[in-house]
Order: sequence, then structure tokens, then C-alpha cells
Amino acid sequence: MKLLKKKIELAFDNVRVDVPESNRMVINAGKDTVLSILDLLKSEGYAHLALISCVDWQKDKEFELVYILSAYMQDNNIYDDKQKENIILRTRISRGNPEFITVISIFENAEPYEREIHEFFGIDFKGHPRLTPLFLEREYKIPPFRKDFDTRKYVKEVFDEIPFVENEDGKK
Amino acid sequence: MSKRELELYFGPQHLGMVGNFSITLKVEGDRILEATANPGYLHRGFEKLMELRTWIQNFPMVCRINVVEPDSMEMIYSMGVEKLAGIEVPERAHYIRSIYLELARVGSHLFGLWAYANMLGFDTVAQWAMYHRDLILDLFEELTGGRVYHIYIWPGGVRRDFPDGFKEKIVNTLHSIGSCVPDYDAVFFNNRIFYERAKDIGKITQKEAKEMGATGQALRATGMKYDIRKVEPYAAYDKVPWDVPSREDGDAYSRVWIIRDEMIESVHMIFKLIDKMPDGEVYNKVPNPFKWVIPKGEAYVRCESSRGELGLYVVSNDGDKPYRVHFRTPSYPHGLTVLEKVLKNASIADVGNIMISLYIVAPEIDR
Repeated sequence: MKLLKKKIELAFDNVRVDVPESNRMVINAGKDTVLSILDLLKSEGYAHLALISCVDWQKDKEFELVYILSAYMQDNNIYDDKQKENIILRTRISRGNPEFITVISIFENAEPYEREIHEFFGIDFKGHPRLTPLFLEREYKIPPFRKDFDTRKYVKEVFDEIPFVENEDGKK
Repeated sequence: MSKRELELYFGPQHLGMVGNFSITLKVEGDRILEATANPGYLHRGFEKLMELRTWIQNFPMVCRINVVEPDSMEMIYSMGVEKLAGIEVPERAHYIRSIYLELARVGSHLFGLWAYANMLGFDTVAQWAMYHRDLILDLFEELTGGRVYHIYIWPGGVRRDFPDGFKEKIVNTLHSIGSCVPDYDAVFFNNRIFYERAKDIGKITQKEAKEMGATGQALRATGMKYDIRKVEPYAAYDKVPWDVPSREDGDAYSRVWIIRDEMIESVHMIFKLIDKMPDGEVYNKVPNPFKWVIPKGEAYVRCESSRGELGLYVVSNDGDKPYRVHFRTPSYPHGLTVLEKVLKNASIADVGNIMISLYIVAPEIDR
């Protein structure tokens, strides 16, 4: 991990690398360097993209995209310390202009994750082949996983208008 | 689209489909040209709702993410909270957790076997599997009070110790299930029909599996013994010796055989864990759940559910509620990336076969 930390710090500027535990590494990167860092990590053996997540930091007016990587085994039967390691790569993008680049060219399984984030946070991934709705069927004014989306208010607005089913004698 | 092509909707209500999930197939004759997965029939927005509830209140929700095996979801959420809040777990609780999770794995695999055997037309085997799963649910009912959703694992340990005589009950139940393994083998696993129907169906190579982020049986069927219980041991999985079953071919036949081998391995592991189980406390006190504030931080934890790598990314912002939770469920890449790719050029008759052998549960994808 220490070698990798040095390597990343040397190769890129605008990057902060922390190792809070022996097998966890947190990389805070500028948004322009994410693709090249992911490329480097993949060539270093961290070829398993476990998750792409998104956090809405409403007060900072920023979205944080989180890429979590780990390593598959080199040999089919031998375990080593490398698989214990998890790398968390974080980058922040502006909330007013939510745009980012897709990483499908590096990790094929990024496709559904980016589609989900597009749907729930409204982030536009440039170069993504199909940013069509994945889960939702209704139109939302605010993407529903953003912090300013009020679930209770939404339910009241949408479902309060639907009348109760009444019996023939008019009682509810 | 040429005149010979046809769009076919497969699911969410279909005989060959388990769970509320649908696939849009573009077919020419019997051959599939393109498959598009359509999740969302079951999306409950749990991750958003969890941001509005306290750390402890979220437990009834996490276990409903995977309906078939809710226990590993409790485990992963507890692991996340424990890591953020720095809570230790007593030694005995680690053993109880492992035994409990392995029982859940056997139950989940029996459910999977039910689905698979039912789909292939082996109704008898399916009924046996369902019956044997029910015996395990009886154990859960005695231990926790609930049959399907247990909420037994909590931050700091487990909710209560095993009742008197419970260890013997586990051993007896597992013996009565294990004594039927020769029957299962004779009727199903060594059956020529199963071989003909599953061999070389839904084949993926190890390279493809790695590129698509596959874990669990889908990856182990290609030869790699990748299992989080071995790779990054949690609970008491590093305390007893055990082996990870794997196969080389990467097809439906291998994946279903791995399910069988894993059940047997889990049963042996439970016996070893029961023998080694130490005495002591099962629960470390946590702060008052109504006023429990967890300091700012983030954590990624992972464990091995019965379907593959289960992960949780959780962020706390000095609050009594999580700021963000995101589950990495194993069915997500299997159902949305692997399935679409494997279905290309397959036959319509094999859709259910491929889907169930990949061990996809829809509620895990939808969350």
C-alpha cells in the first residue's frame, strides 16, 4: 500500500492519499484525474470495481462520487494480503452543473451503477451509451435521492389526491 | 428490425421466472439476439428511507433488502455501524454469528435449489428442498421469534444467547437434512437429465467474469476460489478449517453443483464451530439507541452472502441517522451486466435456467 501511495502521489498532482488502516486506502482526487488513476489502479491489479456510489453534500453544494475497488486473486487457489485491501477513490463535482465522464471504457460493470446515479441524483455521465430510466416509472422534478427531495411532501402531493375506495353505501 | 425479429417480454409474471424482474428479449426464431434487463418492480427506496431513520430503526429495513437471505444483510449493516462507532464484539458472539449465518446460507441454498429444480421440472426434489428449508426456519423461529426476518444480529453482538439445548437441536436438524444428501444426489445431481439440461448453458469464462464484476458462485464456477470469508475473514470464519468449493467450467451445471457443495461445507463448518464455541457474553452494550450519535466518517465493509460479495458503503455526518448508505448487492452486477451478456445467442428455453443458476434475486437489485 505504501509503495502504491508513493506511486500515485508522484504521478498525479491535486491528489491526496490516506491510509487510515493497513488494508484501506482513501484517495481524494480532482475530477480530471479520476480516469487515469482508475487506469493505473487497474493495471496495478485492483481490477474489481465493487461499487460506484454518490453522496450529496448539500451544504458544500457538491456531489461526491465514490469508486470502491479491490483485487481478485492472481492464482485460483492462493490467497494473499492484496485481496484484503480496498481502495476508495473519491472525487467532488459541482452540484449546480452535475456532469462527469463515464468509466465504462475501463470497468464494464460501471454501466448500471452510473445509470442508477443518473436516475437518482441527476448526474449526467458523458459518453454513457444508455442513460435511460432503470428503476423509476414517474417523472420527478428533483431527482429523488438528493437531499432536498422531501419524501413526505412528495407523498402528500402525489398520493393525497387519489381518493379512498368507497363502499356502495358511501362509507370508507 | 427485420421482419423475422420479434420483441418478447419475459416476466415479471412468468413460470420460468422467480421474483419480480423482467427481461425484454429480441429474438429471431428461438435464438436471442439481445436482452435488456428491466428491474424496478420492487424498488422501495430503502437507501433514501434509511437516511430518515435512526441507526437502530433501520434494522427492519435492511433485512428486507434480500428476502431470501435477510441475515447477511443484518450482518453487513451491523459491521458497518460497528466500524464507524468503533464497537467491539465479544468472542462468543462471533461464533454465534458464524453459526447463524451458515444456517441462513444453507436455508438460502435450499431455496435456490427449490427454484432451480422446480424450473427444470424436478418437482419432487423441489418439495424436499422446501421442506428442509422449513426445518431451518423452525430453528430460527425458536432462536429469534421470527421465521423469515429475524433481526438477530445487532451492533455489538447478537440479541440473545442460544437457549438451552439449542446446539443439540441444530445438530439434529442438520443430521436429518444431511441424511437426505444421497437421495438428492441420486434423483437430481447425478441425474442425466440435469446434466443434459445444464451442461454448457450460460457459460462464462474467468476473464469475462472478472471484467463484469462477478463474485460468488458465478466466479467460483470458473475456478477461482474467491470468497470474502477466506479473503478477508470476519466473525469466526478464520477460527476453523474449511474449504471453498469451486469448479472449472463456468456453466449452469457447475454453478448448481457449487451450491450443493457449499451447503455440505457449511454444515461441516457449523459442527466445527459448535465444538469450539467459547463461553461468555454475547452482547456489548451500545449507547442509548434514541440518542446514539455516530461521529463523522465513512466505511466500506464487505461479507460473503449466499450469492457473492455483499458490501456496504456508509457515511455518517455527526448524526443520529446515517447520512448515506449504499449496498453493493451481488445480484446487481449478476442481474444487470452478466445476465444481459450471457443471454446473447442463448435459446429462449434457457432463459429461466440461466437466470436462476446465476442466483439472481430481484429485491437485491431493486433495494
